[in-house]
Amino acid sequence: MKLKTVLFVTLTIISLLLASCTPAAPAQTQAPAATDAAAAPAAVKKVRVGVSWDEKAIPLIQAWEDYMKAEAAKAGPANGLDFEFVINVANLDPTRQAANIEDLIQQKVDIIMARAKDGTAIGASIRAASDANIPFVVFDRKSLTEEQGTAYVGGDSYDQGKVTAEGLAKVLKEKNIVGKCIEVMGDLKDNNAVLRSKAFNDVAKATGQYSVLVQVPTEWNPELFKSGITNALQAHPEADCLFLASDFAWSSVQSALESQGRWAKKGEANHIITATCDLFPDALVAMKAGYIDVTTIWDAYMQAKELVKVLVAVAKGEDPGCGKDGCLAKGRTVTQDTLKDVPFIWADDYANWKP
Amino acid sequence: MMKKTLANTQEFLLKNGFYIVIALLVTYYSLAAPHFLTFRNFNGLFHAAAPLLVIAGGMALVVLTGKLDISLGSIAYLSCCMGVMMYQWYNASPIVCFFVIIATGAICGAINGFIVVVLRVNPLITTLGTLMAFRGVGLVISQSYEVGLPDQIRELGNAYFGPVFLDVVIGIVVLLALFLVQSRTVFGRHIMALGNNVENSARLGIQVNKITFFTFVSAGLIASLGGILSLVQNGRFTFFLGQGYEFTAVAAVVLGGISLFGGEGKIFPGVLVGVFTLELIRNGLNHVGANPYLYGFVNGGIIFLAMSIDALKTRSRGRIRVIEDEAELGKKIPERNKT
Repeated sequence: MKLKTVLFVTLTIISLLLASCTPAAPAQTQAPAATDAAAAPAAVKKVRVGVSWDEKAIPLIQAWEDYMKAEAAKAGPANGLDFEFVINVANLDPTRQAANIEDLIQQKVDIIMARAKDGTAIGASIRAASDANIPFVVFDRKSLTEEQGTAYVGGDSYDQGKVTAEGLAKVLKEKNIVGKCIEVMGDLKDNNAVLRSKAFNDVAKATGQYSVLVQVPTEWNPELFKSGITNALQAHPEADCLFLASDFAWSSVQSALESQGRWAKKGEANHIITATCDLFPDALVAMKAGYIDVTTIWDAYMQAKELVKVLVAVAKGEDPGCGKDGCLAKGRTVTQDTLKDVPFIWADDYANWKP
Repeated sequence: MMKKTLANTQEFLLKNGFYIVIALLVTYYSLAAPHFLTFRNFNGLFHAAAPLLVIAGGMALVVLTGKLDISLGSIAYLSCCMGVMMYQWYNASPIVCFFVIIATGAICGAINGFIVVVLRVNPLITTLGTLMAFRGVGLVISQSYEVGLPDQIRELGNAYFGPVFLDVVIGIVVLLALFLVQSRTVFGRHIMALGNNVENSARLGIQVNKITFFTFVSAGLIASLGGILSLVQNGRFTFFLGQGYEFTAVAAVVLGGISLFGGEGKIFPGVLVGVFTLELIRNGLNHVGANPYLYGFVNGGIIFLAMSIDALKTRSRGRIRVIEDEAELGKKIPERNKT
């Protein structure tokens, strides 16, 4: 018994020591890049922005962060502001994100910006920030609660889904086909996924150029992308088009198409006309190779610009001037033919990104 | 007579109720979706279920002892993380990565076993903690980074063995091996004895702590194998690997007739039936084009039903025994009265 007690206490102490030594989810304080403090006007106001990311496993997040800092380094001094960013990452855990945001509140940052893991859970954090009189900017994923924060900045998901679907309809029309499509949905708790799905189905009704054979929910889980697409192709071998609410799990999509003999480039037999949203690095490679027909970029640069515009307005106590749906940045639609002419594709810029 | 008929019917329904439900499900889906009842579809169904087949097999070992391990999904994640990082950082060969993954799984299982056996912490509490800890360690090591697999490895994810997918064969071989362990080895018999009654097992000279420890080690090792199947199928190491498997594995085990109270059930065909049922539900919902918002409700409903049937089965077994005892008692009493 004594031995067990000693062992237990020893293990506990070792665990605590390890926990204190092991790098936790990054909570970095970053000075803005390329800011010459000596050249800044004397009345520069320091603005500490607490940034709560839900994850950093994808290069898109890093792209947003880098573009945001670069834009803040330009827009800040021009508006008499000196932005400092306090970053933390929740590793896809809504509870962890709530705790991280509470930390930011305790640190008395001037503004909080968060990309929610869970659109319903974020409401409590928004309320807590409001109680502490800290403006809260919701980024990319909208709050699904009454608490909407000071402003919402994101991509225009509905527009992204709509223009992608219209691009798909155009491709089908050129081939003289009324498409039979499989729709691969995202997480039904993610507003972006819901809006993209709505847009896709609205365009189906409006154009009549394709019908939706089946909707496959995936919870943004790559394994469900694979099994769902496999099952859908089994159920509907006649399907000739595929819509992905996001192509971040492209590897699983490829695996599913390979298993069903539908992994074929444009122009080859068994090619399935594919329209995607976001254009992640794997999907960019696939598009260049001819597997994806049309996509709309999740425009990280334009969204970051919009975000900094809002941060500047909030820091100055002004109305950001967002519409009723928030400050939305539209994406750019590309096809295999136009891909090479489109600049600032984040997937290209971050193709070799590693954390 | 009526009571016995009722008892027999009840026992039959409880024993075979789930097979009846499966048969009804298959019938419905076959009628509603023309391409459902095909070899190709069922091949695909088992292909998708292969990682769960293996992980649920490991879970079954633990459940048969009357304990629970809900960290298996995280073990699959962490062990694959170690193997993938070996490849990423040191350009290790696939064989080396494979052994690293297996060894990590066994070590994680050993950690669970140590905490349960030596520190005497409740298995559910233990593995709830390690569920978070193992995934957390994996995140720290990988920095949440995703790693694509080389083409030669990802091709294995869709490889065939004859007419069926290779990973389906692997899954079934693993289950059969576990079943042989359960039914033909001393270790297996000791596992069942523990599940029936720990005190009696100890009195009979069974090394309870040793068996429990090695059960957790085995479960961890098997979970890492399941992780490999999932990793190769998807062609990419992601944060999502193994997520949620612990709960679906428990559901599969219970659906397959293995009691959460331990000491009852067969790994084969039990786990196969359980996993098949879970994957059948999703496969069928995809086929019939069900409303996506219904998936969670239907899955949750089936899992709830499975747990209820398991509890009913255990309770009713006591009642049926009482009825039989009464019948026996009724015969004896007149004889006693005579004397």
